[in-house]
Amino acid sequence: MLLKTLSEAFGPTGFEDDVRNVIRGELDGRVDEMNTDVLGNLIAVKGAKKPGPKVMLDAHMDEVGLMIVQICDGGAESGLLKFRALGGIDPRVLVSKPVLIGPDRIPGVIGAKPVHLQAPEERQKPIPMDKLYIDIGAKDAADAKAVVKPGDAAVFATRYAEFGDRAAKGKSFDDRVGCALLVEAMQTEVPYPLYGAFTVQEEIGLRGARAAAYQIQPDIAIALEGTVCFDVVGAPSHGQSTVFGKGPALTVQDAQTIADRRFAEFMWETAKRHGIPVQWRRVKGGSNDFGAIHRVGKGIVGGSISVPVRYIHAPTQVVSLDDVENAGRLLRAVLQEIAEGSFTL
Amino acid sequence: MKEWIVRLAAEIAPSGSEGRITSVLLDAVQDIADETHMDALGNAIATKRGEGPHVMIAAHMDEPGVMVIDIDDDGFLRVIPTGGLTASEAAFRQVAFTNGTVGLVCLEDGEKRPEQFEQLFVDIGAKHRQEAESRAFIGLGGVLGTGVADIGNGRLLGRALDNRVGCAIALHAFRELAQLGRYVSVVFTAQNAPGARAAQAAAFALEPDLAIVVDGVPASDVPGGKRTALKLGAGPAFKVMDAGTVAPLSVKQLIEDAADALGLTLQYEVWPGGRSDTGAIQLTREGILAAGISYPVHTAGAAEALVDLADVEATLRLLVAAVQTFGQ
Repeated sequence: MLLKTLSEAFGPTGFEDDVRNVIRGELDGRVDEMNTDVLGNLIAVKGAKKPGPKVMLDAHMDEVGLMIVQICDGGAESGLLKFRALGGIDPRVLVSKPVLIGPDRIPGVIGAKPVHLQAPEERQKPIPMDKLYIDIGAKDAADAKAVVKPGDAAVFATRYAEFGDRAAKGKSFDDRVGCALLVEAMQTEVPYPLYGAFTVQEEIGLRGARAAAYQIQPDIAIALEGTVCFDVVGAPSHGQSTVFGKGPALTVQDAQTIADRRFAEFMWETAKRHGIPVQWRRVKGGSNDFGAIHRVGKGIVGGSISVPVRYIHAPTQVVSLDDVENAGRLLRAVLQEIAEGSFTL
Repeated sequence: MKEWIVRLAAEIAPSGSEGRITSVLLDAVQDIADETHMDALGNAIATKRGEGPHVMIAAHMDEPGVMVIDIDDDGFLRVIPTGGLTASEAAFRQVAFTNGTVGLVCLEDGEKRPEQFEQLFVDIGAKHRQEAESRAFIGLGGVLGTGVADIGNGRLLGRALDNRVGCAIALHAFRELAQLGRYVSVVFTAQNAPGARAAQAAAFALEPDLAIVVDGVPASDVPGGKRTALKLGAGPAFKVMDAGTVAPLSVKQLIEDAADALGLTLQYEVWPGGRSDTGAIQLTREGILAAGISYPVHTAGAAEALVDLADVEATLRLLVAAVQTFGQ
């Protein structure tokens, strides 16, 4: 299953090769061409010479992760790894999590002082990132340095699994769920030029998408994202952002974009016409690649379609497979309506 | 000029919902422009071809505001800011939405003082969700503050004067320069308040030889004023630097020469905290020559501002003279 393969692929920000290879393999022979640009964005193209609006679909390949910055040498710490975050990670979610490090996927565990040894005041507050370390079971620094180097990146070692009522858990659904939707969308037939941009370095500031949009110069762009969902205990309506299982979410405003109202309404009406559940994303915080894309060149019309992801940016994220499926249906419907001229530029 | 300022300030145009004022502004230049259009980000653009280098005049037309982000079962709305409005500025004030709906921004019971928008809700008098949804929708934009008042001494006070004053100046300058046969474009920019998001797209499309941006700058002749030496009523200011730009010396010379020729006293703006369209335009393409000319205001970037009409007139004269001098 593609979402499982993509979710388990190794792709912390700046190290997207593994994800890119999975996508290249999936799209090989199914698109006209694929190019990797200097930043590492993979751009798949279909029907470049066709008439009509040039449409760019975007999904970022990278996931939040960790970067090894130091291999401790000497003393009791010898062989333990210090790290920093790649992207927005809450240090409270890190303790005791298994990780995989570097190109050889060296397994490690994020360690911290056990509860027995903590002073009462230590138990009251979260452990900051600079007090955490990764233990790879090395007997000393030399042992560790033989398999890990500073600059190596790490991801959570979470396996994909389906559970409950049409739910799936795994790491990196933000934004492998978008990658899966984009791989699928690139195999649909449309009468206009279709560009699929699988971008890099979204999690540290939408860095890859800008270059992708600059080289594509689309008339319309749509970012496919995993987004914040907090429809859980104690969250009032305005604190949820999105509701799990209620369909893909459309944005009116986030931290980087005030949505093009006409395009947002076009997507909303398309969902209604096609009987696809849809909801508004009801929070300002957070952003996606469209925040960078819409400001490129003369300005680009478009928006984003987001899948609600519970526990986003955490080691185990949860999506509704119905939401994923409905996001795919909405995307196909939007592409079809663009073909039929329902949205005028 | 004053009539135009009052008329433009009456339009509700929170960032990203500039639709109506766009039509008003483009209608006001339609007769003299060769072409007008609205771009993908909401900028309103008009061009008149003519003699000399191509000069782009820009003024942002948006204002800080709020946007509806949630509607609850009891018919109350939740809002998020668009632009730099804080929860304390928004609380306990009327909000006027672009669709005519009016509401009161309230603080949740039990909260001491408004610090975050999450503590606020908007009461539009709806009895339940269904009624609220007939008068408001998620994504609906609104603004705070009241209409323009003439408070004497040639001074005006009211909502959105920063930067409808700039729009009125840009509008008049464009008409005057077009009549003089100059090659000039005017851009009424969108989405300035959330961080100068749209101006560079217009500059990218127009590729002007020079861009001059008109905007308000906070005057410091107030209690607790920062040491910027900017006074209300003391004339236009040249933007030497802000958070997004440092002016090239050639541009500074151009504005100083134009001021000298008019016998105008020029003030100098150094505003390390300000983020303007000038910086966004300057860094477009391979770099664009960009100047900022500012009129002093009391409380820039807030819902309401206070301006001096003599500054406004002088800013217009300086702008027109600078464009005429450029390239000669």
